[in-house]
Parts: sequence; structure tokens; C-alpha cells
Amino acid sequence: MRFRAKIVDGACLNHFTRISNMIAKLAKTCTLRISPDKLNFILCDKLANGGVSMWCELEQENFFNEFQMEGVSAENNEIYLELTSENLSRALKTAQNARALKIKLTNKHFPCLTVSVELLSMSSSSRIVTHDIPIKVIPRKLWKDLQEPVVPDPDVSIYLPVLKTMKSVVEKMKNISNHLVIEANLDGELNLKIETELVCVTTHFKDLGNPPLASESTHQDRNMEHMAEVHIDIRKLLQFLAGQQVNPTKALCMHRICRSGKKTLLFRVETNETSKVSSVLGDETIFL
Amino acid sequence: MLKCVMSGSQVKVFGKAVQALSRISDELWLDPSKKGLALRCVNSSRSAYGCVLFSPVFFQHYQWSALVKMSENELDTTLNLKCKLGMKSILPIFRCLNSLERNIEKCKIFTRSDKCKVVIQFFYRHGIKRTHNICFQESQPLQVIFDKNVCTNTLMIQPRLLADAIVLFTSSQEEVTLAVTPLNFCLKSSNEESMDLSNAVYSEMFVGSDEFDFFQIGMDTEITFCFKELKGILTFSEATHAPISIYFDFPGKPLALSIDDMLVEANFILATLADESSRASSPQSLCLSQKRKRSDLIKKKAGKNITGQALECISRKAAPRRLYPKETLTNISAVENCGSPAMKRANGDISEVSENSVSNTEEVPGSLCLRKGKSEASLNYRLKKSLIEKSLIYGISIENS
Repeated sequence: MRFRAKIVDGACLNHFTRISNMIAKLAKTCTLRISPDKLNFILCDKLANGGVSMWCELEQENFFNEFQMEGVSAENNEIYLELTSENLSRALKTAQNARALKIKLTNKHFPCLTVSVELLSMSSSSRIVTHDIPIKVIPRKLWKDLQEPVVPDPDVSIYLPVLKTMKSVVEKMKNISNHLVIEANLDGELNLKIETELVCVTTHFKDLGNPPLASESTHQDRNMEHMAEVHIDIRKLLQFLAGQQVNPTKALCMHRICRSGKKTLLFRVETNETSKVSSVLGDETIFL
Repeated sequence: MLKCVMSGSQVKVFGKAVQALSRISDELWLDPSKKGLALRCVNSSRSAYGCVLFSPVFFQHYQWSALVKMSENELDTTLNLKCKLGMKSILPIFRCLNSLERNIEKCKIFTRSDKCKVVIQFFYRHGIKRTHNICFQESQPLQVIFDKNVCTNTLMIQPRLLADAIVLFTSSQEEVTLAVTPLNFCLKSSNEESMDLSNAVYSEMFVGSDEFDFFQIGMDTEITFCFKELKGILTFSEATHAPISIYFDFPGKPLALSIDDMLVEANFILATLADESSRASSPQSLCLSQKRKRSDLIKKKAGKNITGQALECISRKAAPRRLYPKETLTNISAVENCGSPAMKRANGDISEVSENSVSNTEEVPGSLCLRKGKSEASLNYRLKKSLIEKSLIYGISIENS
């Protein structure tokens, strides 16, 4: 297994650092998947269906000047590593204003991801900072749990309002209730609702726009205004929103009801088509 | 016995020194001498020592006197002020240094050995005065015997560089290793720790020798010391805007971090881990000694012995600010009660005394101090008047309670 990559551009480095900070805010440990054309950060939460809760995809060409990798074997040309997300974000924090950043897989006493930064300094010689982040290699038999979540055809998918606004609304709602109901329809309307014995608060967002649906035909006779709703844990939603530091160009939410009646909510945030973050939240309908 | 006066910006530096020393220890010695006011502290495991010496010219007014004890065999032993303060008492006073710097006109620190108290007074605008009375414990200050000049390795760097390096290390890491060769300098996580914790990140930073103001390495060395104290030293150095000098030798021998401005001299001595061959499980204790007699000690830099003088009065201002005998305080209250005739009489006497005093700075004050029960005539007129005015206007009692 081998991996070497180098970032030289300041803006790319900045973007990569912010994504790493976002991952660090979402979970303590994360999995890094390295493949020939992509870099993925995967978070596994103990969901009822045992799937991935967050999937972040980065096109390596958009970040790295040099990228070489050799997977576990020829057929399985991928590397799965587990690391503490805060270690990576802290290592990258020192790399602001760096001339170059190099990441490679090494084995110094134990397997490490070595982040080596060349910093600009006032004098002619540059400073070299090295961080060895301990990692664990994930064996091939566990790879199946870490695959990209299949995005089934959603019933409703809608573009989200400005995430900052949504975050401040949800934060205030957190004080009243633990569960939030998200309703959306194909007419560009989104409602965030909380209900308690004493009070019911709803925030309405209009004219949000809907992304084009994959299979138009099945939904033509559907009522455009029919609201699909999902109950979710407010704290999980807030965790996802709090981690959003990268200003997205596109943020959307997809709602899906499986045949079994299980509902899932998928949030996807894209930035300039260079990075995609998808977060899956399961339904937690409470029967009163 | 100590009395000193500072302005707002000087208080900020003084406060930063206290804050830096608070990271080393929970107790602070206030040690005034002819050389200035020294703040000293030692940590509980005796592995770190800090001393900040404010020279007399740092203050607007600095006055120090040692009690001369007449012993039977006619050897005058000079007793310095043995003052140990709890950091918990003194640190909260020097909080919000920026606002202190802006708002105070003057800060006065003086001791009252008869009551074992240190009094810190802040004078704000509009006549507002804030007074803190802190009780001190009688304790002989400790001093480290360490000669910086014989160290083989000396570096001088801007504090910014160290601050950048500190960012690399997490607060969970206790020790850092400094490795030098004649060409470069490297600060890295201690090997000991990263071996034990498989989850810890190992970091290192290489800096070229041309980033240093002064870089003299006698031999390749790697020393390991505690990281916590370094942060305190850094905040102080940023306040003084002076470069930090690092003096060190082989592993096991202490490391000295020194900041030397014209007015303030700070020295922080940290113990380092001994070498593999003679490895101790913890950094070796510093060599400390108590000040029995001032004359016996060899201080860090100065070779000469210090002899106590009966009295010293060092002042920046031209106006003769006389010394402040203990008796002054009791006398003032008497004056208050006397009323105007007494004051006039006193005034008359005082003016004469003042003129004489101007010429003989050393002798006259000396005699004043030792003579007990002297009347208010011995007081400086101006000083007394201002005190009386203040006490009458603000109702503050200056007498001994």
C-alpha cells in the first residue's frame, strides 16, 4: 500500500482544511478512503439500518498537484484508513500560508499518515513542520459497510435555504423540543416544525426550487403540494448544520419512503462541484 | 520594607510578569533589594523557577530599606523582606490589564512589615482609589544558582517564532524536545510520550539558523523539558517586546530562558530530563538555596556580594521624595487630630529639615529612620500635606488600626 499526495495551491489547501474541520466537528473518528481518482471521508454512525451516516467525496484532481496511490491489491485498488479527525484538522491548521503540503502513508513504529508542511518564513530558509498522525488500516472484510449510500429515487427533493438561516432557526427550536418535523413538497416549500404539548412552532420557507427528478413519469400525477414529512432528532440535524463551514453552491434535501414504510432523509451539500458531502438521517417517528 | 510607584503602562508589564509566574507556581516571593524588585517563584516539584527583576528605573519611584538588626557581637545582619504571597491573592488584582493600563493614573505598592501586609493601591481618575491589603507569609525567598554564561549553547529568538511552534503541540502533551545542531534547530514532541500513547500525534518543526537573532551552538544537543511553563514565558515576552534568549547545555542540566530589556530582567530556569545513561524518571530538581545572609550568596549574574544598606531612596523625579518611616503613619493621625496650629508648627520645622535633607541624601534619612517617636517635624511637608488632604476629603484612615 502506498500513498503520496501534494497540494501547492493556497485556495485548495484552504478548502481542504475547512472540509477537515467540518469532519472534525461531526465525529471523533472517521474513515478515509483513498482511490485513484477520489478521496472520501466516511462517518459511520450506529443507525438502525447500519448504514453510513455521512459521506464526503472529493475529486482528487481538484485539490492535489500530485497524487499517487497503490491499493491493497490490484483488484481492490483502494485504501481504507481510520483516524481521529481532530488530529488531521489540527495538523492542517498549522498549514495556513504554506508553500506546499505533502501527505503520505508511512510506517514509523506504527502506521501513520505523515503531513509535511513547508512554511514560508521571513528569512530565506523555510520552516518544515511534520506531523505523524497514527492511523489504523481497515481490513478488506469491513469494506462493505463503508460504501457510498445508494441514493434511491426520492419522493421529494428540494433545494435548501441558506444554511446559516436554517441553522439559526433550528438552534432556537432545539430549546423547545428534541424532535423536528421536516416537511417538503415539490412546489418549492419547506417547513420546519416542532410540536409540544404547549406549543407548536413552524417556520415556512417558500420558493426554494426543486432539482429535476430522475423519473418524471411516475410523479406526474402526484399532487405538487403534497407535503412529505419526516421526524428527526434535532441534535443530529444541528450537528450536520454546525459542521457546514464550506459555503456551498448547492444544498439539497431528499426524502424517501421505502416500501417497508421506513423513511430516510438525505442532505447533500456541494461546493463548486469539487466536493460533495452527503449526510443521511433516519426517520424517528414517535407514536404518541 | 518596600515602596514603589508605577504608571499605567508599567502596571501592565508588572501584571504580565505575575501572570507568567502564576503558570509556574501558586506562591510568589516579593523580594526587593538595591537592584530592584524581584518576583520569584518555584514550582512544587522544584523543576521550574521563575524570577522577574524590575530595576529601580522601571518604576516612577522606588524605595527600599532593609531592617538593620543590631546583634550582640556587633555584626549587623541585614534582614531582607521575607515576603511570600499566595498567587490566588495577587493574581486577581492584576486582571484586565488592558483596562488597568488605560484607566489608572498611578499604582502604589508598599509593605507594612509590622502587620505582614503588602498594600497595592490603584489611583484612578476623579480621585477614585482602590486598595488591596494582602497578608504575606514570612518566608525566605529561594534563588537558583545558575550561571548562564557558561552554557555551551545560546540562542536568541523573537517570541513570535516560539509562539508559532507552540501551536503545533496539543495541550495534552506535557514535554517537548529541543534538538539543535550547529546548522538548525528543531522543536518536537517528546519521544517518551508518543511511544506510550499510540493515539498521539508526533509533531516536529525545523527552523533554519538564520531565523535567529543569535545562534551559537557548542555541541549537538537534545533536551526535553516541560511545555506548560513555556507558554507563560511567551505571554510575558510579548508584553516586553524583547527577544528571548535560551541558554542550555547537556541533558539533565537546567535550561534558562531569559528576557533582558533595559528595565526588566526575567529568568526562567527549567529542569531538563537527564540523559539515557543516568536516566531519572522525572526532571532533576534545580539547585536552590535560601538567602541566609545576602552577603554570602553569589547571584546569577553579578559576582559581587550584596551588602545591605540602612536605607535607600531612589527616585526618578527631581522633587525630593523623602523616605517613609514607619512612624509616619502613626504620626499622621496625630496631626489630623491636632488641628491647624500643630500643622503650622510642623510645617515650619519640616521646611528646614527638607532643605538639609536635599544635600545629604544618605545620612539624614538614615537617622530619621532609626529614631523612634520622632515628631511630625521629621516628615516631608509636601508628602504629609497630600496625605492629610486625602484623608480628610475621602475619610480614609491612614493610621494603624
